Order: sequence, then structure tokens, then C-alpha cells
Amino acid sequence: MKDVVLRSLHETFGKFGDMLLQFLPHLLVMLIIFVVGWFVAIILKFVTRRIFAFVRVSKLSKDAGISQLLSKADLPPASELFSSLVFWVVWFGFLLIGVDALGVPELQLEVGKFFLFLPQIFVALLVLFGGLLAANFFSRAALLAAVNANLPSARVVSGFVRFIIILLAVAMALEQIALARSTVLITFAIAFGAIMLALAIAFGSGGRDAAHRMLDRMFPPPEPKKPEERTKQEEISPL
Amino acid sequence: MQSNPLWYKDAVIYELHVRAFYDSDGDGAGEFKGLTQKLDYLKDLGVSAVWLLPFYPSPWRDDGYDISDYTSVHSAYGTLDDFKTFLDEAHRRDIRVITELVLNHTSDQHPWFQQARGSRDNPKRDWYVWSETPDRYKDARIIFTDTEQSNWAWDISSKSYYWHRFFSHQPDLNYDNPAVREEMWNVMRFWLEMGVDGLRLDAVPYLVERDGTSCENLPETHDVLKFLRHRLDENFPDKMFLAEANQWPHDVRAYFGSADECHMAFHFPLMPRMFMAIKLEDRKPVVDALDRTPAIPAPCQWGIFLRNHDELTLEMVTMDERDYMYDEFAKDARAKLNLGIRRRLAPLMESDRRRIELLNGLLMSLPGTPIIYYGDEIGMGDNIYLGDRNGVRTPMQWNGGWNAGFSAADPERLYSALISNPLYGYQIVNVESQKRSEHSLLSWMKQLIRVRKSTRVFSRGTMEMLHPLNHRVLAYVREFEGEKILVVSNLSSQAQAAELDLRRWKGTVPIEMFGGNPFPRIGDLLYLLTLGPYHFYWFRLRQL
Amino acid sequence: MAETAQLSDEFIRQLSAVGEVDVLVGIPTFNNKDTIERVVRAVQIGLTKYFHRDRCVLINPDGGSTDGTPEIFKNASVSDFEIMLTSNPLRTFHRVSAPYHGIPGKETALRTLFVAADLLRAKACAILSPTSLSVTPEWVESLVRPAYRENFDFVAPLYQRQKFDGLLVKGLLSPVVRAAYGARIREPVAGDFGLSGKLARHFLDKNIWDQDMTTFGLEIWMTTTAIVDGFKISESFLGPRIQPAPQFGQDLPGTIRQVVGALFKCLEMHESYWLAHSGSEALPTFGFQYDVALEPLKLSTKTILDNFRSNIDQLVPVLESILTPATLVDIRKMIDLPDKQFRCADELWVKTIYEFAAAYHHSAINRDHLLQALTPLYRARVSSFILENAKAPAAKLEQKFEDLGQEFERQKPYLIDRWTAKAGGDR
Repeated sequence: MKDVVLRSLHETFGKFGDMLLQFLPHLLVMLIIFVVGWFVAIILKFVTRRIFAFVRVSKLSKDAGISQLLSKADLPPASELFSSLVFWVVWFGFLLIGVDALGVPELQLEVGKFFLFLPQIFVALLVLFGGLLAANFFSRAALLAAVNANLPSARVVSGFVRFIIILLAVAMALEQIALARSTVLITFAIAFGAIMLALAIAFGSGGRDAAHRMLDRMFPPPEPKKPEERTKQEEISPL
Repeated sequence: MQSNPLWYKDAVIYELHVRAFYDSDGDGAGEFKGLTQKLDYLKDLGVSAVWLLPFYPSPWRDDGYDISDYTSVHSAYGTLDDFKTFLDEAHRRDIRVITELVLNHTSDQHPWFQQARGSRDNPKRDWYVWSETPDRYKDARIIFTDTEQSNWAWDISSKSYYWHRFFSHQPDLNYDNPAVREEMWNVMRFWLEMGVDGLRLDAVPYLVERDGTSCENLPETHDVLKFLRHRLDENFPDKMFLAEANQWPHDVRAYFGSADECHMAFHFPLMPRMFMAIKLEDRKPVVDALDRTPAIPAPCQWGIFLRNHDELTLEMVTMDERDYMYDEFAKDARAKLNLGIRRRLAPLMESDRRRIELLNGLLMSLPGTPIIYYGDEIGMGDNIYLGDRNGVRTPMQWNGGWNAGFSAADPERLYSALISNPLYGYQIVNVESQKRSEHSLLSWMKQLIRVRKSTRVFSRGTMEMLHPLNHRVLAYVREFEGEKILVVSNLSSQAQAAELDLRRWKGTVPIEMFGGNPFPRIGDLLYLLTLGPYHFYWFRLRQL
Repeated sequence: MAETAQLSDEFIRQLSAVGEVDVLVGIPTFNNKDTIERVVRAVQIGLTKYFHRDRCVLINPDGGSTDGTPEIFKNASVSDFEIMLTSNPLRTFHRVSAPYHGIPGKETALRTLFVAADLLRAKACAILSPTSLSVTPEWVESLVRPAYRENFDFVAPLYQRQKFDGLLVKGLLSPVVRAAYGARIREPVAGDFGLSGKLARHFLDKNIWDQDMTTFGLEIWMTTTAIVDGFKISESFLGPRIQPAPQFGQDLPGTIRQVVGALFKCLEMHESYWLAHSGSEALPTFGFQYDVALEPLKLSTKTILDNFRSNIDQLVPVLESILTPATLVDIRKMIDLPDKQFRCADELWVKTIYEFAAAYHHSAINRDHLLQALTPLYRARVSSFILENAKAPAAKLEQKFEDLGQEFERQKPYLIDRWTAKAGGDR
């Protein structure tokens, strides 16, 4: 019995040793890939930071309102963040390649799926970034237009515009990564529709007088001017 | 001479001063004998009528316009027989003769005036216009502004004022007196019977005066003319009256009457505008003048001219136009006289041959009978340092030799100094030199006159002004009895292109009249012509 | 030499017929049927009266009017005036119509005129606005003579304005041009001006024509370029200026965006000139200045102030990106002032404008938004100015504007500092 156990152990450990011996080169390769990947990621991070500086991403992100968001969240500035992201993505990619080099088929499948998924994530991030940019731009445009037209609560209008665009951007990003597609779609539709309905009701009933005044201003009725009517400042020519 | 009642329409008239033309007897001044000798020159030039400045006995205080005997010849110019000989010789060469008849006034040396001023009872007293005070006819302007201050002069002998529109030594005749009219008719008849073909009626607007008027162009004046014309038609149907009326066109029109006053009248307003148009490089002044020219009775004719023995008159222009003319043409203040410029054609054109040709081209193609002033056909210069208008009445320059071939007398004896500067002097500008070259101004003028006389379109035809977009180009079509001539002139110093609307004459072929070359047929499109600086075309439009 | 490919054959044909000219007058139009006849008559009488010996042409570049403006231009006649004129025109009067295609705009119209001036070798030009109700024949003489006879290259107009008319010009454009470029032009954006043929050709050779400069942009650009390129500038008094009811009263933001934007763009273009330049000089002035009693305006500022107070708060996020914190604080302090004491001091106003200019240069935010953000501040400034000077006589107002001009000059080093600071520098 002792011999059987010893032989069994010998076989098992032998098999294990063989397996290990077979596995070790893969492991070594994986580790080498990890290390190489780390260096590549560092280099790419450096290059990315340079490129971003060149393209003035910091300015763009400021325009998009991202810088403000990041600083509020105590996060590093955008270009730093992006280049870190690039580092992690690249290194993670190498990690996966390394894992893939282990030669475990199930793992390889998942790795493959991940790499296929990567572009979607990038696009989603781009969409989100673009959306934030647009939201900032249009909300500011709306704010300025409302202020200059002397509309009351210009900030509300501006906030509303920002909200709508961000909502749209988020929905598009989520759809891009195919996360709960139908849920997102339906939720967005409902939200958007509800907002529009609320606006209509508010405007139609609650804001009736305001609506009336606005329309009057846009299409003034022809009434004779009273002689003492004062000239509004806008009627002096600035030029 | 052939009988042709409308001869004056087809004429090319040459104005000359007997004294200035040719001196055959060596006394320093020209006379009829000399003039007779030069008739061949005139024949060769191509002119068909000669207009002589006054040659009557006169004290010569107004270059012969102050006449002291109407029916004689001043001894300086010869005798009446000399004149008759000249007349015959001229007629032999088919050259008609137009003389001056100074109707308005006489010299104060005339026997009539001597008698009139002698006593208030003298029968001739009423032949002139007298007044106790100088207050009558206040509204009449003074014409010789440089020398006269009033139209009235005080006569010491008869202790009263006499009326004179011109110099004070030229008392006006009183046409309210029928005797005056009859006598003037007698004077006319004297010359017409002798053979004179036409009479230039000098200063004709001023014949009659009335208080409260400008004393110009009065109806009574026209009555006098009608009277004289009536006599003329009865006795001499193919003789001509030429009115000198320096007035606006609508006033000059009256001197034609209903073809019962004068046959011809000078077109004074057009003349300065031709000069203006060239200087401005814009046809507007000429077009305006022609637009304002009224229609005249069919037998009547305008007399057009560039220069004459007087200053280039600027009476019939606006103040701005006058200022412009002075600034452009009389930069030397000495050139100004009365209301005009006393320069000849060549100096006014700064001796520019092209401009001289252009102006002569207009003269020969615009409606009217052209009148050339002696010496302008060779481009004679002038002398603004001579008094009055004598600067444009210097001796004719025949050759580059002794006294320019004008006279054998001592140069100091000449009636006037010759033009002798290096630009216009007789050594350069003279008939003899120019005869020897086919390309001289004289030769060119001969050709011009020849082409003009080759058709009656110019002398008798209608005129239709064209209006090409390019305002520097003056274009018009003359037409007579189906024959059409297109005249296109470039008034500018630079080459020009002009598109003419000739579609009315579509299908005809323009033949350029000097060279005889056909140009492209007129079609549906605007006709494009290009012209060199100051160049002009005469085209006969032929149906081919 | 400028490209002439966009000139129509018909226009070239008409120009050839006109030939060389001494004086060219241009009236660009687009649907101006109510006012064009008056302007054309004034020009024709002016040319006949003052330039009757000179070769003149009147050109009308029209951007495709649909209300019959070109026909009115062609047919406007002065025959009823001819009896009154002492001058009979010596020369043919040329009137050339030049419709152009493309977007109706000042650029194409002015370019057409400059090309015509070049082709016709015009010695002097005058451009007149088709909407001036107060134009007289003397305007032609006033704008042309300095260029034609006195060797000036650019003739800016001087108007007799109502007290509070043109405050954008007097309160911003003119003093900025004065401080930056050193020339005290009081009307740098006028639709009526004169220029020499030489300057017209110079403008043609510039690369501005393919850029979108908009109506007012071109005028500011011409004024400032003339200064920078060393041309002789003068001013000429024209008289009262009356326009039809202001078209831009309802679009003040749009006007500010265009005009001030153009001003800032010019500052960028001419950076090397004005950064090195200091001080300013008055310009030679032609014409006899006279006062005209103009109808006083009754103005209401209450609404503006109320709006200002609510608007500034809402605009803080935007203004933060443009102004320094100190300036923003000062502006916010104005909110607490009661109406009667509402004041926007000269120093604050000048500082604000300069900070806007620098922010524009550094593209701190979208430039369009930046210019729009200026509108409520401008309105506040106008209200302040009106409240302060409601009863002041014209002479006192002139002094105020002069003081303002000097303040702009005094603070120029501040502008230079902010302009040349690195982008993204401290806010």
C-alpha cells in the first residue's frame, strides 16, 4: 500500500511537475508580456500626454465642462486622466494578452470577447465626451440667448438644455455598449416624452400669461402709439 | 456763274481780310489786285465762296467796320474797278463773293453823320438815334465791355447824345426812319447789281431800339429785314443774306423768319461747344447745342465755323462754361478780350494736328455751311500782344521768304507784324511748304473739302444723332435723298471703342470715304468701331 | 491685381463706356426702395454742383433687390432741380447699375466698387449708405474733397448725432480704436465714407475678400487697416444723421456680436502694430461743424436695470471664464445699487472691455458666446450713462467721451498685459 501511495503520489506529482514544466514557459511568457506591456503602456501614456497637450485637450475638456467636474470630484485634470486611462487600457490589454498566452481556451474566449468589446467602449466614451461638449456649448448658448432676450429664469432654460443633451448622450453611450439596450431606450423615450408633456402643460396653463406676452412681443398688434409713450432704450441705434 | 438759288447751302466759304491776304503793289498791305492773283489758290483749295471783311472807305478805327462811304472801295484796297475785276475773276473760277454790309451803324466820319450832327434841322438828323439824356434804353447791355462804359455818347456839336451799340465812333442808324431803309436798300442794290452774290449783315439784332427792352431782336428789327428781303427776292432771287446774330438759338431762329428774312445765320452757340467737347473729351456740349437748335425753314441754312476775325465769343455759354473755356484755352490772360478768347485755331489746339483735323472734320460734317477762316487751313498762329483782335488778322503766310511772300515792301512797312516765332512762324507755317507735301495740313484740308463736296448729304441732309454708351464718341447719321453718311468721331486723346446701334441701316455696307475701303456689313448686333486718339470716320452706307 | 472674374459682362461694358474718372460715388443697395431715390438725387446734385468740371460716375452695386430698387436708381431724376442749379453740367453724368450675385452683402458690394475704382483709375471715391434720410448734396463734397484735392486717403464722416445715439460707437468702438491704433476716429463704422483711388486699390490687394467679415466687420477693417498701413486719415463733418427706424434695435446682441467681434478680430490682425503703439492724435477735420437741434429722446431704463440685475447672476458661470475675479466682483456690486445711483464707472467699463478683448484673443470660451455675454454689460453701461447724463448739454457729453477715450488710453498697458499673457493663465 505504501508503494501504491508513493507511486500514486510520485505519478501525481510527476504529472503535476510535467504540467508545471509545461505551464511554466507560458507563465514566463505571460510575465514577460506583463513587463513589456507595462513599459509600452508607460511609453504610450507619455506619448498620449504629449499628443493631448499638442491638441489642447485640456482646453477642449474645459469647454466640455469636464475639467470643472473632475476638479470637483478631486480627480486629476483631464489630460492626466486620459493618459492614465490609456496606460491602464494598454497594460490591461497586455495583461489579457499575457493571460491569453497561458493557453487556456476558456480564458482565451473571454479575452477575445473583451478585445471585441474594447472599440465599443471607446466609441461610447467618445459619444459621452461629445455629448458633454455639446451640452456645455448649447446650454451656454441658450443661457446667453435667454439673458439677452430678457427672458425670465434664463438659467432654468439653460439647465434644461444641458440636461436634455446629457440625457441623450448617456442614452447613446449606453446603447453603444449595448447595456440594457431596450431598458435604456424605453426609459429615455418615457423621460423625454414626459418632459415635453410637462412643458406643454406648464406653458399652456400655468404659463399662459407669459406665453401671451411672448407672442405679443413676437407679433405685435397694430395699435396707435400714445404720444407720451416712452422710447425704449433698445430703439436708440447703437451705431 | 450757274444760277442756283440754294448755292449757299452747298458752299464752302472762306473768310478773309483783303488787307491781310496778298500785297501786290508793295505798300505793305493787301488789296484787290493782290487778292485777284490768289484766286487760283482758293480754287485749288476747293472753296466755293469767299466772304470779304469790309473794304469800304473808313477811318479804320474798327478795322473797317466803321464805314464812311458805302458805295466805294477804300483807296488802300484799290478802286471799284479793281473790285469788279476781282468779282469777275472769282466768278470765272466758280467762286462766289460775299461782302459785308454793316447795317447797324456808320463811322462818325460818314457824311450822313457829319450832316446829322451839324444841325438839329438837317434832313439827315433823323437818320441816327438822338437823345437829350442818356437814360433811354437803359436795359440794353454794353457789347464792347473792355472799351465802352455806355451806349450813349455825347456829341459836342449838336449838344445831345447819340446811340451806339458798339464803339462810340460808330453811331447807330435809325431804322425807324423809312429813308434809312430805302437808302440801305440802295446800297445793297449797288453791290448786288455789280455781281456780289451775298451780303453778310453785320450786327443785325441791334437795328431797332425800344425803351423797356434789351434792344436786341425786336419785332421791328425783323420788319426791317423782311422789307430788305422782299426787295431782294423781287430783284435778285439767287443772292443771299447772311445774318450775324450772336444770340441763343431760339433768338437766331427768328432771323430766318418764315424764309422771308435771312437765308443764313451763324450758329454761334455751337462753336465754343465744339472746343469744349474736345477739351472735356465728352460729346455732351455738342449734343446739347444741337438738341437746342430749332428747326429752320427748308431753304435756310446755318453757317458753322470754328474761328473768325473776332474773338472766340463766349457770350452764348453759361458762366461755368465760360470759366472752363478761359481756364483751359486762355491760360494767358492777354488772350481774353471782351467776352471771348482772341486766338486762332492752331494755338487753341496747341498745334496738335490731330485735334485740328478733328475739329475741321466736325466743321465739314455737322449740319450747316462750313466757313473757314483764312490761314487756318495751314495752321497759322496768332499774336495776342497786338491790340484788339488784330492778333488773328496778321498777314497770310505764303512762303518762308521775304515777308512770308505776302508783300515786297520793307518789313517795317507792313500793316501788321508777321508771326515769326519758331512754332508758328512763317518760316515753318506757309502755303508753299505745305503745297510740296501730300501730308501737310493744307493737302489734308483740300482732301477734306473735296470729300465734303463729293456729296450733298453734308450740305443738305438731315441729321440723326446716335448715342453710343461711350460718351467720348460723337456719332450721327446724315441723310439726303436716300443717301446716308455715318460720321463717327473720337473726341478723346485715347483710343476708344464704341458700339453703335445701326440696326436701322442693317444690311448696308459702310464704305470709309477717305480711303474708299468697305467695312463689315451692318447686321443685327451693335456695330463695334475702334478709333485712335482724335480720329474720325466718314462712312457712306451703301446698299450692296 | 484683384480678380475680376465675378464682374458681369454688362458691368464691364458699362465701365468701358465710362472710361477714366476723377470721382466715383458708390451706393450699395439691397431692397432700399424707400430711401434710394433721395440719396441718388442728392449725389447727382452734389456732383453737378461741386464737381461739374470733373469726370464722375455713380455706381450702384445691388445684391438682388426684389422691390425695384435698381429701377428707381436708374430713373431718379433731378430735372426739377436743374433750374435751381447755377451750374449746368459740362459733362455727361454716368449712372451705372451693377447687380451682383451671391449673398447680398457689403463685402461683395464694396469689392465691386473698388474693382470699378481700379479699372476706371478713379482718383477719389465716396461710398454712401442707401438709407441715410439726412443726406444732402454737400455730403458728396465733404467726403470727396479731402481725398480728391487735399491728398488724404481715408475720409471718415462726422455726424451731428442725438445725445444718446450711437453709444456703441462712442462708448466702445471709437475709444478702443483710439487707444489701440492711436487715431481719434469718432465714426469708425460708418456707412458713409470717402477714400482715395490709391487706398481702394490697396484694399483690393488684401486677402480679406474671401473671409467672412460681415457688414460691419469690413468697415472696421477698412478703418483700422488704413491706419496700420500708413494712409492719411481725416474726418469730414456731414451734419445730422437720421436713419429709418433702427433695424438693429431688436437685435442688439447680433449687432454687438458682429461689430465688436470684428473689432476684436482686427485687433488680432493688427497685433504687431498696436502692441507697439502708444498715445493718440486728433485727425484733421474738414467742414464747418454746426449744432442742430435734434429731437430729444425720452428713454426708459428701468426695465433694463431690472433685467441686468437678474441677468448678471445667471451669467456668472460664463463671465467667470472671461473676466478676472476682481472685475466680476465689481460688476456684481452694481447689482445692489438703486436705480437712481446706478453707475458703471469708466474705469470698470474699460477694464471689462479689455478683459473681453483678451479673452477673445485667447479663445477662453467660444468667441460667439463671449460676444453675446457682452450684451447685458453694454446695456448696463448705456443705462448708467443715460442716467448720469440725462440732463447734460451736448458739450458736456463731448467732454465725457473725451474722458472715456483717455481712460481707454490710460489702461492700454493693462490690455497689452492681458493680451500677451500665456493662454490659460491665471483667472
